[in-house]
Amino acid sequence: MFQIDLKSRMPIYEQVVNNFKRLITTGLLKPGDRVPSVRELAKALTCNPNTVQKAFRELESQGYIYTVPGQGSFISEPPAEGSEAKAEAILEKIGELVYELEFLGITRDKIVEKIMKG
Amino acid sequence: MIRTEELTKSFDNLLALDKLNLNVKKGSIYGLVGVNGSGKTTAIKHLTGIYRQDAGTVTIDGESVYDNTGIKKRVGYIPDDLYFFPNYTIKAYAGFYKRLFKTWDDERYKSLLRTFGLNDRFNINRFSKGMQKQAAFIFIMSAMPDVMILDEPVDGLDPVVRRLVIQRIVEDVSEREMTVLISSHNLKEMEGICDSIGILKRGKMAIERDLDELKSDVHKIQAAYPDEVPPGIEKYKGLNIRHIETRGSVEIMVVKEKEEVIRRAIAQFKPLVYDLLPLSLEEIFIYEMEGEYNEILV
Repeated sequence: MFQIDLKSRMPIYEQVVNNFKRLITTGLLKPGDRVPSVRELAKALTCNPNTVQKAFRELESQGYIYTVPGQGSFISEPPAEGSEAKAEAILEKIGELVYELEFLGITRDKIVEKIMKG
Repeated sequence: MIRTEELTKSFDNLLALDKLNLNVKKGSIYGLVGVNGSGKTTAIKHLTGIYRQDAGTVTIDGESVYDNTGIKKRVGYIPDDLYFFPNYTIKAYAGFYKRLFKTWDDERYKSLLRTFGLNDRFNINRFSKGMQKQAAFIFIMSAMPDVMILDEPVDGLDPVVRRLVIQRIVEDVSEREMTVLISSHNLKEMEGICDSIGILKRGKMAIERDLDELKSDVHKIQAAYPDEVPPGIEKYKGLNIRHIETRGSVEIMVVKEKEEVIRRAIAQFKPLVYDLLPLSLEEIFIYEMEGEYNEILV
């Protein structure tokens, strides 16, 4: 599904969280899909189950997954409301990045071009 | 699960462990690190009931370890220096372990033999060091211990076997909540599988923390300024700076502080750009120990 980069400075649980977010936003994991169990994922990634558990708690608190006791975790529906404030906050961050890039002499056209490429 | 309180041990005039406090939670993979001679192996020999402490307590699951056969039956231990009885084959050894551990699993023993590709009719003493380690690992894993204590477990193993060993350990931790304590100098490998870290320094616990917390607490900062670096370390008063150096118009620091605090402190000097990176375990270890070596040099 994805790989953990042991050379990266990013903590492993953060890597797991980010990889899941990407799988969800790209639509590879759809709402209602079952998330592998902590055990399965720890085995597949050869990493610490406690680390995977921590990543799942983080994903749950951010609303990406939900847990049904005794059945496992599933991908959440994208939130219909209440997410606007959060989206706004993230957009705000892009503003900061653009400002920083312009400061370094990168033109807006170049930034847009990069965004369009994905 | 595993706990020492004020554990003290001397050998003649040498104080090897000095009021050591160590605490490993159930189901955790704990990494015990420290420079040579900091007391890792001595600590481990107390946890496994080989040494008797001068003072303090050593408990597993609330019970004192020394001379406690009930606890020892639940603990699997692979020492750094392996010893095998002369003229024993792997098969004979498996029989020996089977008598010691009531929890021994024959199915698992056979499947591990197949996985590692060892012939159980061979004399174990004629194996290479790496293959002896593999054999020791097969015995311990087949004994299904609740607690596994490993001193330099992957030392001498090839990368393929290393991965197999780690995979098996992770499986047991997630499936039956086995508790693992590993001592190793291979910090990159430790960083990949441990959730807690204890750093020993001269027989004392210098740092004992959740690995992610430890990493989010120490940062490396590289700040580039337009002309010159604003002089003086005093400018960052209140910041816990472990290391600072200037290279041209770039300032490099290692700071033990939360990310937001550092960002606020740096921003007021308006650097052109700055990077804030979490440290690897290896870097944290080296910066922690730097003071140690300076003292030795003086």
